[in-house]
Amino acid sequence: MRIDRTHRTWLIASLIILSVASAIYLAYAQTSPSGPSGGSGIGLMFGVVGFLFMIFAGLLAARKKVPVWRLGRAQSWMRGHLWLGLLSLPIIFFHAGFRFGGLLTTVLMVLLIIVVASGIFGAVLQHYMPPVMTVRIPMETIFEQIDRVREQLVAEADAMVEEVCGPRNPPPPAPAGSKRGRAATMTTIATTTIPLCNFYNGEVRPFLQNESIQNPALAARAKAAAVFEGLRTLLPSDLHTIVHNLEELCEEERQFRRQIRYHHWLHGWLMLHVPLSLALLLLGCAHAIMALRY
Amino acid sequence: MTASALVELTIDGRKISVQAGTTIFDAARANNIAIPTLCNQQNETPVGVCRVCVVDVGARVYAASCIRPVEPGMVVNTASDGVKQARHTLVELLMSDHASPCARERQSGDCELEALAKHENVAKARYAPRAMRRGPDNSSMSIAVDFDACILCDRCVRGCNEIRENFVLGRMGKGASTGIAFDNNEPMGESSCVSCGECMVSCPTGALTNRLVTQTEIAVTPDSEPVPLHELQELPFFGGVSGTFLSLNRNAVVRRHFKPGEIICREGEYGSTAFYLLEGQARVSIASPIAHVKTKGSMRRFLGKLSSRLTQRQNDHREEETAQHWIHIDAPMDLNYDNPVAMLGPGDLFGEMTCMSLYPRSATIRAETDCTALEMLRNVLDIMQRNKTFRAKLDQSYRQRALDSHLRAVPVFAELTDKFIEGLREKVELVRFTPGQIICRQGEAADSFYLVRIGFVKVSQAHPGGEMVLAYLSRGEYFGETGLLEHSMRSATCTALDHVEVVRISAEDFASMTEQFPGVRRNLEEVGHERVKMNEERLAAINSTPLDSFLKQGLMEAQSLLLLDLNSCTRCDACVTACADAHDGVTRLVREGLRFDHYLVATSCRQCLDPLCMVGCPVGSIRRRNSLEVIIEDWCIGCGLCADNCPYGNINMHPFNVFTDVPGMPGMKKAMVKQKATSCDLCSEFAEPSCVYACPHDAAHRVNPRAFFANLLKQTTAKTPES
Repeated sequence: MRIDRTHRTWLIASLIILSVASAIYLAYAQTSPSGPSGGSGIGLMFGVVGFLFMIFAGLLAARKKVPVWRLGRAQSWMRGHLWLGLLSLPIIFFHAGFRFGGLLTTVLMVLLIIVVASGIFGAVLQHYMPPVMTVRIPMETIFEQIDRVREQLVAEADAMVEEVCGPRNPPPPAPAGSKRGRAATMTTIATTTIPLCNFYNGEVRPFLQNESIQNPALAARAKAAAVFEGLRTLLPSDLHTIVHNLEELCEEERQFRRQIRYHHWLHGWLMLHVPLSLALLLLGCAHAIMALRY
Repeated sequence: MTASALVELTIDGRKISVQAGTTIFDAARANNIAIPTLCNQQNETPVGVCRVCVVDVGARVYAASCIRPVEPGMVVNTASDGVKQARHTLVELLMSDHASPCARERQSGDCELEALAKHENVAKARYAPRAMRRGPDNSSMSIAVDFDACILCDRCVRGCNEIRENFVLGRMGKGASTGIAFDNNEPMGESSCVSCGECMVSCPTGALTNRLVTQTEIAVTPDSEPVPLHELQELPFFGGVSGTFLSLNRNAVVRRHFKPGEIICREGEYGSTAFYLLEGQARVSIASPIAHVKTKGSMRRFLGKLSSRLTQRQNDHREEETAQHWIHIDAPMDLNYDNPVAMLGPGDLFGEMTCMSLYPRSATIRAETDCTALEMLRNVLDIMQRNKTFRAKLDQSYRQRALDSHLRAVPVFAELTDKFIEGLREKVELVRFTPGQIICRQGEAADSFYLVRIGFVKVSQAHPGGEMVLAYLSRGEYFGETGLLEHSMRSATCTALDHVEVVRISAEDFASMTEQFPGVRRNLEEVGHERVKMNEERLAAINSTPLDSFLKQGLMEAQSLLLLDLNSCTRCDACVTACADAHDGVTRLVREGLRFDHYLVATSCRQCLDPLCMVGCPVGSIRRRNSLEVIIEDWCIGCGLCADNCPYGNINMHPFNVFTDVPGMPGMKKAMVKQKATSCDLCSEFAEPSCVYACPHDAAHRVNPRAFFANLLKQTTAKTPES
């Protein structure tokens, strides 16, 4: 989600809440003889409000599970998640009097800091990365379909190259003198195409086929352009169209790799943020029960 | 034979007697003296155009033996050095005009000219070929024409005119540009050729050959049997067809037997054959529920869980839904909306559109009694349909049984009286058009009104910058009324998209109809005005939108587009999940499509300039509303062709469990999965579509593109000097 001027209302509301909470905290900290404490009335109020903010932020995941329930627009939930989740950090600090306390509360504070920090990191990524993806990956496809599209690319390239190089897996040689043997001799590959066939089988095909294969020559656009230019000099001009098409396919593959990388950045931080948020909420509940009961 | 009628002559030193009037060629042949020939055939009048049969009769010039009658005391030399030299030169000249090896030589190695050339040791002609080449004509379904292989021997012309008396073939042009022609030099498939095959079996070269269609044989199964040639020839609709030609195509037709209850063909299935019922009764019905997909919120509306169910139009009348009572199918009759069942009997032909244009079957046909039918591929169907006897029968059958319902199925003709239709019955004309053939052209004088009986017609207008497709018309729809009502020129070009058959009503009959029934005239005028207005609006929209890419993507016509702002979208797919959740797990949205600026136009109906989804629907259940959005009528049979045809993947097939009757077991029902086509309905139950509502990143928007992109268009226009 882009953090733009449409967030102004939430920003102002959050600043007001933060100001009011800060004022209350300052007044309370100065008047409290033994210093601010989470167990005091005001401290407890900060704890309850902060925890409610955290619960609301955590409910976004549940909200996403039922996308069409008419519980308010998902983007409102997302804005609430961002701003109230962010606010929960200072409110909980006010609740704790800026102290970490015992083991459980220390764990809780560390978790909260990590969750908020990872959330901010994620928000920054989701603000900046989509426009970058739009510009840098014009051939973007649906992430889950990349492997399928990749298979199609390989099939397309195979068909193109087989037209001039012959089948990649030729049938076994027939006994000498048979008609089949004679036919096979007739389809012998022209020597002029050998550089293309070798380059395709040795470099391009593995690059297109397997994402894990790192081919420095093809992975960078400028280097790849130079390599393909070199290949053109070895081939007759009627094969240049195939070279151009292969170059385009490699560019598409590079974009897929970039898309996968960006996708992991865009969504990878959730691997940390979501489980830690869940742990934070569970431990927060435990802390609340223990604190209220004992 | 009397002695006085005999003529004595000498051929190659042999004294022979033949009847007066006999040609030298026939006299020689009767006495086992072979003279080569190309243009001469026993069953045709000799014309002596190829001159290959030249002989020396001692005159100043050599004579063509096939046309020169014998004379008393004549001395004929058929193989002198001079004759041999002349014949050799003639063959060389003919070969120079013959694209060798021709199709016949390639297929069966029996081109008569090329065989003669081999015999004469003519390996390569010394003469230059004709500069003007006409090339092939592949417009006929059953005969391939290669004008470049033609040697102008006229055997085909005589076969067509003398033997079959069809008078389709003739010569055209003069001198070096002489050639054979069908009718007034029409493509063979568009001419009045009846596909009797006589020209093809007469042709000595590969100029006219049997066309190999993609599938030339129907597999013989236990319930089918090949039909012997003599039985085929006895069938009235193969009368007049050359036996050789029929023999070449006999594997493309089988006789099939069906027991009562057995299915002959099933709706929605793809096929390539048509059926001609010889005996028995068959029942035509539509097994798919006659209902449309209604997505409803009901009690669980708060939860946003929409449920899709099948609803009939009586219970849920949609805006601009048609009120027609007839469902058009690929058979000689239409089905009633309320009771879509009809009977077929001996002499009925069905499955023409499937066979000719490979569309899905439009209805399920089940044998009611023991049935025997001919199942045929399109080359045989084409022969049948071109046969004069069969055409007359088909026309008669249509006039008697279908014209009435066909006319009444068109709402604007609702008030026509039985008496008037009775009068019209003998006046209308059934006309066939081949794919790509122009039915009427923009700017021509309007002389007829047309009602589509079979196939699809593209209505388009030429404008500076290209052609604009106004509509695709299918069975039951009509065109040509505007020009007749306003006494003006045709405002659009109508082209046959596939194998089309239309009912043509002449301008006089049309005028009589509109005079007698002012209501019909009023209705036609109203529809005409609506069409004109809509076209003008579309044209104005095109003219005021300067961006080529914007146009190409079909965006400017859309009333409502789903746009994803790629600068905000995190590719989380919440929109797709929401769409699937809202529609019983069947998403109508795919997060892929064309891009305009930083917006992705996600796949959802965009009311294209050229609505390909409408082409080929076997029951005509998909059409445009005036808002240009598509509406899928209740009688969709779920064949999925529209979904396949839509280039943007905006039509989805929604499966439903339905219960259908078990044939032969009254009262019994069985569960079946039937599909219905659906397209985005904007979640009309809600204030906001689910995809937009569920997007957490404010990236999904349903917008009116012209308003939404107005600023962007202005900016881009300002930046483009030529615009």
